[in-house]
Amino acid sequence: MKTARREAWTGRVLLLVLMAATLMPFVSLFVTALHPSGSYPLGLDWPDDPQWGNFATAFTAARMTELLKSSVLIVLGVVPISLVVATMAGFAIGHLRIPGRRFVFVAFVLGLTLPFEGIVTPLYYLARDMGILNTRWAIILPLIGLFMPFSVFWMRAHFVNMPEELSESARIDGASTWQLFWKVHVPLAAPATSSLAILLFLWTWNQFLLAIVLVDDPLQRTMSGALGAFQGQWGTDIPLLCAGSLLILTPTLLVFLIFQRRFVTALLQGSLKG
Amino acid sequence: MKAAAQRRRNWAGWLFVLPAAAFYVVFVIQPLAMTVQYSLYSWDGIGVATWNGVQNYLRVFTDPDLFAAILNALKLIVFFSAVPVMLGLAIAATIRRIAASRLALVARTVIFLPQVIPLVAAGITWSWLLSSTGLVNQLLTAVGLEGITRAWLGDFSTALPAVGVIGAWVLLGLCTLLLLAGMSKIDPALYEAARLDGAGPLREFFSITLPSLRQEIGVCVTVTVVAALASFDIVYISTQGGPGNASMVPGLEIYYLAFSEREVGLASALAVVLTVLVIACALPIQWLTRDRSS
Amino acid sequence: MVVILGGSLAAACAAPGSGNAQPTAAASSAPALSAAPTCGTEPITLKGYFETGFPIARALTDEFTKQHPNVTWDIREDQFAVITQNAPRVLADDPPDLMRLPQVSELVKNNLLKNLDDYAKVFGWDKWPPSQLEQMRLAPGGAVRGEGSLYAMGLNFSMTGVFYNKKLAEQIGMTTPPETLADLDAALAKAKEAGLAPIAQFNGGATGGLAFPLQDLMASYGPPAPINEWIYQKPGATIDTPSNLQATQHLEKWIKSGYFWKDVNAVDYATMMSRFIKGDGLFMFNGDWESGNLDKQMAGNIGFFLMPPAQAGGKRAAMSAPLTFGIGANAKNADCAAAFLNWVATDTQARTIGVEVGGSHPMGPADAPMPPVAAGSVTENTLAAGARIAEDNGAMDFIANATGAIYAKSWTPNLQKLVAGEQTPDGLLKSVQADYQSQVKGG
Repeated sequence: MKTARREAWTGRVLLLVLMAATLMPFVSLFVTALHPSGSYPLGLDWPDDPQWGNFATAFTAARMTELLKSSVLIVLGVVPISLVVATMAGFAIGHLRIPGRRFVFVAFVLGLTLPFEGIVTPLYYLARDMGILNTRWAIILPLIGLFMPFSVFWMRAHFVNMPEELSESARIDGASTWQLFWKVHVPLAAPATSSLAILLFLWTWNQFLLAIVLVDDPLQRTMSGALGAFQGQWGTDIPLLCAGSLLILTPTLLVFLIFQRRFVTALLQGSLKG
Repeated sequence: MKAAAQRRRNWAGWLFVLPAAAFYVVFVIQPLAMTVQYSLYSWDGIGVATWNGVQNYLRVFTDPDLFAAILNALKLIVFFSAVPVMLGLAIAATIRRIAASRLALVARTVIFLPQVIPLVAAGITWSWLLSSTGLVNQLLTAVGLEGITRAWLGDFSTALPAVGVIGAWVLLGLCTLLLLAGMSKIDPALYEAARLDGAGPLREFFSITLPSLRQEIGVCVTVTVVAALASFDIVYISTQGGPGNASMVPGLEIYYLAFSEREVGLASALAVVLTVLVIACALPIQWLTRDRSS
Repeated sequence: MVVILGGSLAAACAAPGSGNAQPTAAASSAPALSAAPTCGTEPITLKGYFETGFPIARALTDEFTKQHPNVTWDIREDQFAVITQNAPRVLADDPPDLMRLPQVSELVKNNLLKNLDDYAKVFGWDKWPPSQLEQMRLAPGGAVRGEGSLYAMGLNFSMTGVFYNKKLAEQIGMTTPPETLADLDAALAKAKEAGLAPIAQFNGGATGGLAFPLQDLMASYGPPAPINEWIYQKPGATIDTPSNLQATQHLEKWIKSGYFWKDVNAVDYATMMSRFIKGDGLFMFNGDWESGNLDKQMAGNIGFFLMPPAQAGGKRAAMSAPLTFGIGANAKNADCAAAFLNWVATDTQARTIGVEVGGSHPMGPADAPMPPVAAGSVTENTLAAGARIAEDNGAMDFIANATGAIYAKSWTPNLQKLVAGEQTPDGLLKSVQADYQSQVKGG
């Protein structure tokens, strides 16, 4: 029993250290954000006169309302389309057992680890020729494609485990394939689709490379891409940069804290399947 | 009769795959083919391209700067992958017994934060921490190590490891939680039996924990190795590949080549090499650690 | 959707770039103008792409809107290194009306910039002192710079040299600016002994600020003309000359003597400014665009001198360049942008902003009125230095402007390596020259 207790204590201490190491950067960011704009504060020195106004300044400077709107629009473009399209494909490959499904599946799986840098150059010229360069579509459409391997993989994993009898009985009742999909399987897939939605939201929101390459105007980018531009414009002012970074982090953090259970589970499952 | 209807219905199922396939083909497969095509040309992105054969590939492997970028990506694996996985294993094994406690539940949320925030934010935060007046140097000075303080991201010998530390910070939480989740699936009876046999925590770890985590470890290694090889955001924000080219990675070099130096062909050749490298690393890991029972 | 997809798939098979509409030289020069263009009276929005941290452009556009309320601005800002990276594709795919330009040779080669000759004629820019526009002229095809058609315009033209902190100078007994390089060396050594940071400089990220002292040293050891020829891409020009080697060795000596901050490789421009203003650093190699700022933040405590020559009584030289702005070849509101550029050089209020906010000499005719400057200010110093440089014919463009990629890909990494002891002076010049040759040939 003694060993068990000692182990528990080491565990607790370790957890605390780990949490401190995780949080310390955020604390440093926060403290720095309170220093007078334009100064070069030391790492963790509490300012004599905390400048709470920096957050307001950064809010205006970063044009947060417009940024939020832009990111939300992009997420609204990527997530619903991806969900519908991937659920349909997952259903067909995993449940309908269409001919050639193994080939289709492998084709998608091969895209799972594709680095975005591998295709970002042609995507630029592709977007330009389609006339969507510097619009949000230039981020939305390629992202749907790039997330498709994982989304299909994820939904297939769900549909493979759905019992055949379910569909059999629906068919006996005269349901068409579409009705079978829409009325029976989509509602049952809710847990899988909602987890996928969380993952897609996060990945879209945080997408950086496509945002900086395909869209010049920070106000048409994702949050992450806008943060890059914010660094470009205000990187010369450390406290303001820190305040702005914290503001840009806040929406993700809020969503994460609200849905944290689902988030953690989804991400863990997500990586396991991926 | 029934079989025929069944078959027709199955072919109709292809309609369900079509939209997904269209997005995938247009925005992934097509650009991939274009990358391969570009890589055989010399093109400045504006004028007309000229055929260049395998010259671009030769340059990727002979130009010391380009090849160094590939080597840097491989070195980053140590930080992005080895450190989080090994540290994650050690931590998970230590906190396994208190995994259900209140503290552990809070910790679950906290150590997941780096995985949720944009990598760009992690880059900005850490650039500040690792600067010459940053927290890291402040702490080192406080414990009497003033002699080794420096601008970590601006020093030739430490820039790449410093980038690695940022990656390790981002990925440690994910690995720890993944491994912890894997450990919770291990039958407690195994541990009981081992304890009765008089096994200490170490032997317990090596004879029970480690072998049962094959799949989880495989996932951790794959995810982190891919993150290391394809790193972009963190390097772009924290060092831009410098000082000199000390922390240049292929992802960033592709971006520079394609969009600032306008060597689209060379950028594409490097992109093909990077893609092949990622797949060549990911596939064997997956194969080696696959759960053979299912 | 299907149409778009189909079309893009079909386009993918030809050689890259063959399907694009190419901007041609003919398209970028408009028919001869009969009257000076204006911005008219209709509401008009000019698209601008400016450099972060240089308030002069915004101050000018704000004032312009005040005088011409129908003109509004849609401005994007980035750091110079980012602008350098983005310039070609922004100009090709989404051309701004007015853009802060990096090195222009390659942009002209690709027909991305508007030829301003007609504007120059109709506005009378060609009657200004020719040296003001020389750096923005390019021979046909962009092969050689310094002659030919005008492709860009300055908001003002800047001058570089050495700023110094007067209080710290007093501490080491330096009462007059150094007259020779040896004087400067002596002052540096004294500052080091006194425990001061002798030189405030930046050399981090993608911008190797040690290029400032290096080029100043080059000008101390040798004449500026060969350096300019190299920057202008005159055939056969080389940076690897004996006097430049001496200069680079001198810089290395400074590095080894610990005259720069220990973390200079991680210091960016803004950090340097902030530290220097705080009093960390006796000297700073920088340009007069900071004069206004330094007069405000270090009032009475800031001095400026031109880089002293190696031999007593030698000629002075300095990097001097227009704050270059250009108009996209396919810009929608080129006429209005040109009218703005002309206004900047000729409007009294604009010229005052150029000096007060920009700290540098305005463009424009030689006899144009100069705004009054406070006596004893560093701005007065730098404007006077400008006259001296003109007298000595010592203006050089910046070695970082020789090609589009030479700064980020060659000077910066090599200077960072020199600081870290991983590059020799000789190796540095040879490596830069090799990169230069491949870029000039390949670009």
